[in-house]
Amino acid sequence: MRILIVEDDEETRGFIAKGLEQAGHSVAAGSDGREGLFLATGGGFDVLVVDRMLPWLDGLSLVKALRAAGDATPVLMLTAMGGISDRVDGLESGADDYLVKPFAFSELAARINALGRRPAARVETHQLIVGDIVLDLHRRTVERAGMRVTLQPREFALLAELMRNPRRVMTRTMLLERVWDFDFDPKTNIVDTHLSRLRSKLNAGFAEDAIETVRGAGYMMRGG
Amino acid sequence: MKPGKLWRTTSGLVTLVALVFALVTVAIGAIAYEVTHEALEEQLDHRITTETAALLAEAHSGGLPAIGAAIRRREASRSTERLEYLLADDGGRIAAGTMRARLPSRAGFEELLEYRRSPGGSVRIAQALTTRVRGGTLVVGADRADLDAIDRRLLILFSGALAGMLLVGIAAAVLIGWMTRLRLEGIDATAQAIIGGDLSRRVPRDGSDSEFDRLAGTLNRMLDRIEGLMESLRQVSSDVAHDLRTPLTRLCSSLERAAGEADPAARADQIENARGQAAELLEIFTALLRIAEVEGFADRLPLHSLDLSALVEQMAESYRPDIEDSGRHLDTRIEPGLAVVGDRRLLSQAAANLLDNCLRHTPEGTAIMLRAKASPRGIVLSILDDGPGIPQEDRTRIFQRFARSERARSTPGHGLGLALVQAIVSAHGGHVLLEDGEGFHLRIELPPAS
Repeated sequence: MRILIVEDDEETRGFIAKGLEQAGHSVAAGSDGREGLFLATGGGFDVLVVDRMLPWLDGLSLVKALRAAGDATPVLMLTAMGGISDRVDGLESGADDYLVKPFAFSELAARINALGRRPAARVETHQLIVGDIVLDLHRRTVERAGMRVTLQPREFALLAELMRNPRRVMTRTMLLERVWDFDFDPKTNIVDTHLSRLRSKLNAGFAEDAIETVRGAGYMMRGG
Repeated sequence: MKPGKLWRTTSGLVTLVALVFALVTVAIGAIAYEVTHEALEEQLDHRITTETAALLAEAHSGGLPAIGAAIRRREASRSTERLEYLLADDGGRIAAGTMRARLPSRAGFEELLEYRRSPGGSVRIAQALTTRVRGGTLVVGADRADLDAIDRRLLILFSGALAGMLLVGIAAAVLIGWMTRLRLEGIDATAQAIIGGDLSRRVPRDGSDSEFDRLAGTLNRMLDRIEGLMESLRQVSSDVAHDLRTPLTRLCSSLERAAGEADPAARADQIENARGQAAELLEIFTALLRIAEVEGFADRLPLHSLDLSALVEQMAESYRPDIEDSGRHLDTRIEPGLAVVGDRRLLSQAAANLLDNCLRHTPEGTAIMLRAKASPRGIVLSILDDGPGIPQEDRTRIFQRFARSERARSTPGHGLGLALVQAIVSAHGGHVLLEDGEGFHLRIELPPAS
């Protein structure tokens, strides 16, 4: 993927750029808001990583300007502001995801992957199919190779989120945000517990594990 | 003070009002004087006209001599409300009457006719009616002395009222200005003391419920709020200073040990250790910031009406696997359809903190009970367990930041969970109460959505 990083802190910028390049992405970088906007309007990027507080033009205004110009490139906003309303402001400006500093690189990489190569228009179908698993959002049923699997509501929501992003790592934080709507990290690791229950129900009678655990990062739905 | 801004001071305003009142008094006085004066003149005119008519009636029977006789009769009777008469023949000789005046050249009323009561007497002024009769001229007049006296008295009365009004007005201006300044000086002195650094000072109140008293009350409430926020800030600063020192020291020593470690595997272990400690520090920071945010911006939280029953049910469902896997039991008794106005994520976080607590601070086999119901005191959310509960000596401070009971020292945590629960519940206008009993029993009261 071609990724643009707009970040004024040199060390952070270098750390992100190096990590993404090592992961096989092509990276361009800007150090202030104006340069960032100039580079972004040049186009050709799959994902923009924009810091919220930038010299000359802040991240919120940068994203607003891009969106006003009709540019729909996915934006991941980085910020040191993790307040209750900061997140809402960030997403309302047109950013697609919001990551509070400091973060683990694996978290950033997972979120960039989830944003990139999104289907152009996300048409919400009522059936999700990954490999031999079929999930029906209307009837709220799950079948694996034609066998009915009975899930609890949270387990169902968890599987649906994983199946919407097949072959992409979903971190615990992403799952907490999207499945539980939490903007905090509970002390009890409810994601792992739910996932292990989901996994044992889904894998009962099958040799292959449908969900892969990515060490130090999160979980990923295996494609068939 | 600029002269143009006179009305901005209380004394100036009262003076202006007094001046306006004085002007209105002058205007009303002038009108009353004029109306009274005219009425009295008309009354005199009427008397003169009636008298002239009566005398002319005499002239029908006996001519000039008969009128003369009638005048002499009247003058002899010496009534208190006497009129002045002058009857002259065509030659200008006086036929009757004591009035001595120049004969008016024209018939009709004359407002100010100078006359004397006797030759050589003092000059007086009369209002007079001159009538031509056959063979002569009749003048009937009324002395204006009484009318002038009444006019004078009216003028004195009105000037007196005006002077009194101005005096009272000025006195009131001075007095009200002085009293206002006195009241404001109290507020000013308090404000000066607070600027000087004494945040505990309050504006004195007199309990009169006057506008000044109410202003003092409002200012005091504002000061309470500011002091609370300052206290909260001070608390957070000192908490950060004291309670972050230990984990920071541990982090530093982990890194030092890693630097001095020759074996790569052991070094990686030490670095992983340090990373864990950094993550823990970050967690403390996040919790402290969240508490401060919820406490400081309670009035500005975006609040929506939400189904608390569904939220609590969902939290119970989310925690049930962990609770059951750890050998504990979860029992819920949640009334459906309980609505509150609040922030979904914050309320979820409060519930998560409570469930985290029960999971971490109770032994295996503990039964945890989650209840939600409507009561006359609002919506009551209770969480209770049959675990060891909170020791008596810790009960009063469990909601403070970094408050951990001695028994909890061995378990992970920073003692920020319940502080955040209390901050969130307070921001929603509710209360958190620690109930007496064997185990842990926390009761949360939230106002219902109207």
